[in-house]
Amino acid sequence: MKKLRVRNKKIDDDLLMKKRREELDKWPTGKEVDFDEAVAYQKSLPDSKIWWKVMTKLREEGRMSVFPRAGTPVLEKMIELCQGLRDSGVVLIPVTTDSYTRLCQYEKVEDILKECEKTGKPLLNGYPIINQGVKKTRKLVESIDAAFSPRGAGGEIAIASGMTTAEAGVGFLGFGSYVKNMTIQELVESSQNGMRVIGWYADRGVILCKDLHGWLPSAPFPLSINIVCMIIEAVTAAEQGQKALYPLVHCMGNMTQDLAWIKLAPRVIREYLDKFGYQDTMIIGTCPAQTPLFPVAMDMGGAFAYLCYASMVGALSKSNAVDLRSIDEGAGVPTKDTNTVSYRAAKWIFDVVREQQVEIDIKGIDTEEKVAETEVRAILDRILDLGDGDIVDGTVKAVESGVLDSPWSPNVNVKDQVLGVRDARGACRYLEFGNLPIPEEIKEFHRGKVAEREKLEGKKVDYHSTVKDLWSLSKGKIVGIPPYNQ
Amino acid sequence: MKKAPTIITGTVGMDAHVIGTKIVSRTLKDAGFNVIALGMQVSPEEFISVAQETNADAILMTSLYGMAELDLKEFNEKRLEAGLGDMLLYIGGNLVIGRYDPKEVEPRFKQLGFDRVYPPETDIVTVIENDLRKDLKAKGKM
Repeated sequence: MKKLRVRNKKIDDDLLMKKRREELDKWPTGKEVDFDEAVAYQKSLPDSKIWWKVMTKLREEGRMSVFPRAGTPVLEKMIELCQGLRDSGVVLIPVTTDSYTRLCQYEKVEDILKECEKTGKPLLNGYPIINQGVKKTRKLVESIDAAFSPRGAGGEIAIASGMTTAEAGVGFLGFGSYVKNMTIQELVESSQNGMRVIGWYADRGVILCKDLHGWLPSAPFPLSINIVCMIIEAVTAAEQGQKALYPLVHCMGNMTQDLAWIKLAPRVIREYLDKFGYQDTMIIGTCPAQTPLFPVAMDMGGAFAYLCYASMVGALSKSNAVDLRSIDEGAGVPTKDTNTVSYRAAKWIFDVVREQQVEIDIKGIDTEEKVAETEVRAILDRILDLGDGDIVDGTVKAVESGVLDSPWSPNVNVKDQVLGVRDARGACRYLEFGNLPIPEEIKEFHRGKVAEREKLEGKKVDYHSTVKDLWSLSKGKIVGIPPYNQ
Repeated sequence: MKKAPTIITGTVGMDAHVIGTKIVSRTLKDAGFNVIALGMQVSPEEFISVAQETNADAILMTSLYGMAELDLKEFNEKRLEAGLGDMLLYIGGNLVIGRYDPKEVEPRFKQLGFDRVYPPETDIVTVIENDLRKDLKAKGKM
């Protein structure tokens, strides 16, 4: 057996401190960060503001929270928006940053932010955390009794402000779903550049948490690739010093599969963390997430039903959080009022269903779990072979050769030779396997399920079926027969 | 037989959504067109320069993030300056932010130079068979 390892170029402490300061010097508010004071401030936070402790407590008490999305530029309005979330029962609060902040265009943000403050209008599509700086953002964190997580940007400004999540590891989110030209080597370089900030804080007793995204399945597609990428993300983050993480499990709308994947993901992530020697990295819960296309803005009924479906899956799987969009997801930036009605609907399900502690036993969960697990192991085995035991080297080679592949990626460096379709029960199957190293008997299982749909619809399942399936969940019809009214 | 018309596809502006334009591209290819697929985040200038280089007959643009109007402010002027007045221009998707009536949005994009404007969830096969072929024939390009 080859020795399992995780390539990670660590830089020495002096260089680390220099690079951290350089990053902060990109905007004047960086001066508000004093590293030692930030550690002391983090240590002074009550448990209710520490992400991993909040999630652990929810799990121990058999309860759950929505993990929403929210961001508006003016501080007072942001406090109001977050207070609205807290009033709807949310204890995990996101600070969604605006698009310009994510692209580091701070000067542009500064002018627009001034205009926002003058007119009271939200001209940015999120909270510009870098321009707002530590003092102001601490005011936000201190105003509301909940844990905070910066989304899309924030770095050490967010940590010094008392937010308790941070990014680490080789994450596929941007590479697979948001960028056009990045290569897998560039992804590894940028995520393993030795900026082990999370580890630096962990060494000083401050545990920052992270959610694992994996490679987003942008359309109906089996979740195995995503779970493999969450494992890669988890072990590479652990190598950088990450001590607490949890998987976002991307639900596709077939309840049997969704529940099977929610069971499988934390189990195999734990197993591989242990195999690689990171026994002290905690998995502090699971968080089902809404990933496929949302109902269009005009279909508010559909949007409500979809978020209630995800809440129900979370409640039945005894998760401690659910990553939920509001009914305004299809319309753009959510308001306080639409957030409130959306998350009150979710809370109703949490309170009524989650607290019943239902033990469900849906026929087929075991099969789906077994199928996905076999795929995950087969793909990871091949990655470790390609990397001669090194998961990072293997990942680079796997993406380059299509051993790791996902459909509909905007990135031109992705093979994009795989496709998914729904079967006769709405479960996700492969239509095209590309170069994925999936065992032959599992391929046969998928082909058989696709054949059942062909029989039901009386026609061949092809590319056009996969296109039609993109809308299956947003239009509220995942099984491959026409609705009654057509 | 004339050679297949050349069609440029892509998502305009800083929009990172790609699925729509991928479907448009593949369906056009399957229908026998010569397709130049630019993918996501294509600037108006890139559309124009590629159209000049390839002598394209049409651009089928997509947008989902609701800011296409901002992206396309000066597009028509620039493409006319570039001598591309005869090229067909279609756009479709989620074209403005919020809940809206596609009928109110259509004239705004026609003003920006587009020949046809489509709401979200339009069937691309119908667009190609009913509109694109007809419009190209009317211009003598098919």
